[in-house]
Amino acid sequence: MILAIARKEFRDAWRDGRFRWAAAVLVALLAVALLLAWQHVRRTSADRAAAAALERDNWLNQGEKNSHSAGHYGVYVFKPLSPLAVFDRGLEPFVGTTVFLEAHRQNQAAFLPARDFTTMRRFGELTAATALQMLAPLLVVLLAFGALAGERERGTLRQVLSLGVRPRDLVLGKALGLGGALATLLVPVALLGAVVLANFPGVEAGGWLRLTWLGVAYALYLTAILAVCLAVSATASTARAALATLLVCWAINAVLAPRLSADLVQHLLPLPKLVEFETAIQQAMQEGLDGHNPRNERLQQFALETLRKHGKTHLEELPFNFNGLVMLESERLAGEVFDHHFSRLWDRIERQDRWMTWTGVAAPLLGLRTASMALAGTDFTHHRHFAVAAEAHRRDYVRVLNEDLMHNSRPGDHDYVVGRALWEKLPPFQYEPPPPDHALRAAAPGLIVLLLWNVGAWAALLLVAPKLNPD
Amino acid sequence: MLPPMLEAINLTNKFNSHVAVNQLNLRIAPGEIFALLGPNGAGKTTTINCFLGFLQPESGEARVNGTNVTTDAVAARRQLAYIPEQVALYPRFSGVENLDYFSTLAGRRHTGEELLTLLQRAGLPEEAARRRVGTYSKGMRQKVGIALALATEARALLLDEPTSGLDPAASHEFSRIIRKLAGDGVAVLMATHDLFRAREDATRVGILREGTLAGEFATNDLKHVDLERLYLEHLDA
Repeated sequence: MILAIARKEFRDAWRDGRFRWAAAVLVALLAVALLLAWQHVRRTSADRAAAAALERDNWLNQGEKNSHSAGHYGVYVFKPLSPLAVFDRGLEPFVGTTVFLEAHRQNQAAFLPARDFTTMRRFGELTAATALQMLAPLLVVLLAFGALAGERERGTLRQVLSLGVRPRDLVLGKALGLGGALATLLVPVALLGAVVLANFPGVEAGGWLRLTWLGVAYALYLTAILAVCLAVSATASTARAALATLLVCWAINAVLAPRLSADLVQHLLPLPKLVEFETAIQQAMQEGLDGHNPRNERLQQFALETLRKHGKTHLEELPFNFNGLVMLESERLAGEVFDHHFSRLWDRIERQDRWMTWTGVAAPLLGLRTASMALAGTDFTHHRHFAVAAEAHRRDYVRVLNEDLMHNSRPGDHDYVVGRALWEKLPPFQYEPPPPDHALRAAAPGLIVLLLWNVGAWAALLLVAPKLNPD
Repeated sequence: MLPPMLEAINLTNKFNSHVAVNQLNLRIAPGEIFALLGPNGAGKTTTINCFLGFLQPESGEARVNGTNVTTDAVAARRQLAYIPEQVALYPRFSGVENLDYFSTLAGRRHTGEELLTLLQRAGLPEEAARRRVGTYSKGMRQKVGIALALATEARALLLDEPTSGLDPAASHEFSRIIRKLAGDGVAVLMATHDLFRAREDATRVGILREGTLAGEFATNDLKHVDLERLYLEHLDA
C-alpha cells in the first residue's frame, strides 16, 4: 500500500512541469556551483602550494645573519584548503589564509579572501551548500505543499480514504514518493560531487567518510523539512494556505533565524574587540598573567636562579650565552600568555558556535550549517586546529634559533651570524588536517539538532495523519 | 430477508447545535437500491459520510456488512465503493492509471488488460481510457468511478448525486450499470434529487426532511406522479 502510494507520488511529481522546471534550475545551480568551486579550490591550492615553495626558497636563501634576526625575518605559512571546501566554503573566506610566524608574537591568520569580494559576492556567494541549504527547501515546499491540502481541494483525498487507506499509510507513502523524487534529483548531484572530490589529489578515506556524513546531514535536513511540509499540508484548509504558511516558515528558517541567532549569541557572549584583545596580551606579557608579576622581575629572578644552578656569580661566567636562554625563557612565558588568551578567545568563539547550533532547535538550518562546515573542514574548529599547528611550528622554529644563539654565540658578540646550514635544520611547515573524528565531534551538535527536528516533525506528521480531514 | 449490507441504527449526527441526521434507521440488503431523497441540507450527504466514517455519529451506529464504521472505519470502507457527484481523479494520469492506483489502494491488483476491460464495461472506450483524465467530461469521470466499483468488487455502493449534471444518455447509461451491479448482489445507497431516476432505478425510496426519515416506500408500488406528490407532501408536512 505505502509503496503503491509512493510510486504514484513519484510519477505525479515528475509529471508536474513546475517541479521539473524548478528541479532543473536547482540542479543547474548545484552543478555550476560545484564546478566553479572545484576550479577555485584547485587554483587556490596550487597558488598556496606555490607560495609555500617560494617562501621556503626565501627562507633558505635569506643569506647569513644572526639567528635572532632570522627569528624576526620570519616565515609565512599557508593554510591548505580542504577538498570539501568545493562543497561548503564555510568560514574560509572570513578567516585568514596565511600566518606570519616570527619571534615574540603569535599572529592571527591574515589575508581574508572576503576582503577581495566584490559587493555582489559579499551579498551572498553561491555554493553547493548554500543552494542545498536555501533553495532545496523551497523545492521541497513546492513539491509537498499540495500533497494533502491539494488532494483535499480536488476531492481525491476523499476518494482515496473511502477505499480504506489508512491515513498514516497515505502520508508515509507520500513522504516516500516525494522523497524519492527529490532523491533522483539530488543523488546524481551528490555523485557529481564525489567525482569532483575523487579528482582532487590527496583525498583519503577520511574525505569519503566526511562526504558520506555530509550526505547524512543534508538528508536529515531535507527529510525533516519534507515532514514539516506534509504536516502543514495535512492540516491546512487549502493548498494556498499551506503554501503561504510554508513560505513564511522558509523565510524564518533561511533568512530570519540565522540573523537573529547571530545577534542574540553575540549579545549574550560578546567577543572582545581586537584592540582590547591585543592590549590584554601586551599587559599580560609585561605584568604576568595574574597582573602582579612584572616581566623584568621575573627575568631578574630567572637570572639569579640560573646563576645559582650553575654555581656562578656573573652571567658572563655561564658556559652558554645567557641572552639565548633568556629568549627561550621569554618565549616560554609569552607562550603561556598566548595560550591563555587565544584559548579563551577561541573557546568563546566555539561556545558562540555551539549556542548558535542549539538555537537550531528553532530553525534546522542553524544545525545543518554547523554540521556542514564541520564535515567539510571549513568551520572554526578546523581553523583553530590549523592556527594551533602553525603556532606549534613557530615555537619550534624560534626555539631552534634561540638554542643556536645560546650555545654557539657569546654575549656581546654582535657579529655572530649563521647561514643555510641552520636554516635547513628548520623543516618546512607540514600541516596535517584533523582526522574525520574531529569533524564528527564538531558536527555532532548540528547532527543532533537535525535528528531532533526529524523526530519532532515526523511525530507531528504521524500525530496529525489519523485526523486527516477529507473535506 | 437477507441480512442488511448497509444499516443505520438510530443514527444521529450534529454540527454544533444543528441536527443533520436524527435517529435514522435504514436497512439495505444485498441487491437493493435505496434512493435517499430530500432537499439540500436534508442530511443525505451526511448519512453517506457516516457510512464512510468521515463523520462520527453523535449517537447510534452505521454498519457495513455488520462492521461498525465508528470502531473500524478501514474495514468498513474496504467493502464499499463511493461515487460522489464529481468523481475526483488525478489529472496527470490516464483513466487506466487512475483505476490502477485506486484499485491497488483498495487491495485489488489487476493487469492492464483487466483494467481496460473494466473501464470498457463501465462504458469508457479504450482510446479515452488511455488518455489523461484532465480532458474528461463529468460522465467519463463517473464511468471511471463505476469501473472502480467493479474493480474492487465492492459489496456496497454509496452514490452521492451521481447523475447530477449528466446528460440524459449518460444518466441512462449510468443507471443501467448501477442496476446491473445491484443485480449482482451489490447493495446501493443513492442520495439524489432526481425523482425520475429514483423511481426508475431504486427498489426503495426514503424521503429525508431535516435529518429525519419522513417516509419510506417500495418503488414497485409507486407511479412517477405518486412519487413526486409524496415527495412534496412529505416536505410540506
